Amino acid sequence: MGDQLGNRLREERARRDLTQAQLAELVGVSRKTINTVENGVFVPSTVLALRLAKALGTTVEALFQLR
Amino acid sequence: MNSQNAIELADRVSRRRARGTAAATAVFLAIQVVVPPVFRTEGIAYSGPRSYMWAVNAAALLMLLLPVGGYIFGRQVRALVNDDVSRHNSRTAAAAGFWVAMAISLGMYAFPAGRMLSAAEALYYVVTPTVGVALLGFAWLESRALRDG
Repeated sequence: MGDQLGNRLREERARRDLTQAQLAELVGVSRKTINTVENGVFVPSTVLALRLAKALGTTVEALFQLR
Repeated sequence: MNSQNAIELADRVSRRRARGTAAATAVFLAIQVVVPPVFRTEGIAYSGPRSYMWAVNAAALLMLLLPVGGYIFGRQVRALVNDDVSRHNSRTAAAAGFWVAMAISLGMYAFPAGRMLSAAEALYYVVTPTVGVALLGFAWLESRALRDG
């Protein structure tokens, strides 16, 4: 159970040419939340992961992986 | 207020709260070093007025761990300032404070002081570092969350 959560949030956001603040607005969270998820400091809830995936037009599995 | 403005304002409020919390805690701890309160163990149960000011300051500082940031800016900004990340940081800081309080309390129990301590003085030695660790920890976690990159 020592798995860590990796994510491709920064890459997916950059691919859509969005700033952290713009993605935060799309998802309805603070920029702080986007920043900490991108940096792996904060593990998002299932609801937030689903909202992030939806806002970026991708799936949760494509956005988050176990390392 | 549109949501982009709310996000920017929440960011600024969160930064100010992190800096303000660190500064207020540093001042609180500095006061304890420079002018510590006087506690008496004999005679009338009287401790100097500074000990009451200390209690008021400690209680006020602990309020900063509650989700009250951005209160004056309305519900939308308040929700963004006190989001999941901040609440997680607050819980982590409170847990760190708890372990500091337990360590000091058990240490005082295992290694009694060479003189009598009143209950108020013993509480002072437990609560002061607990508040310091919890609040400085919260400020650091919030600053880290807001750091770009």
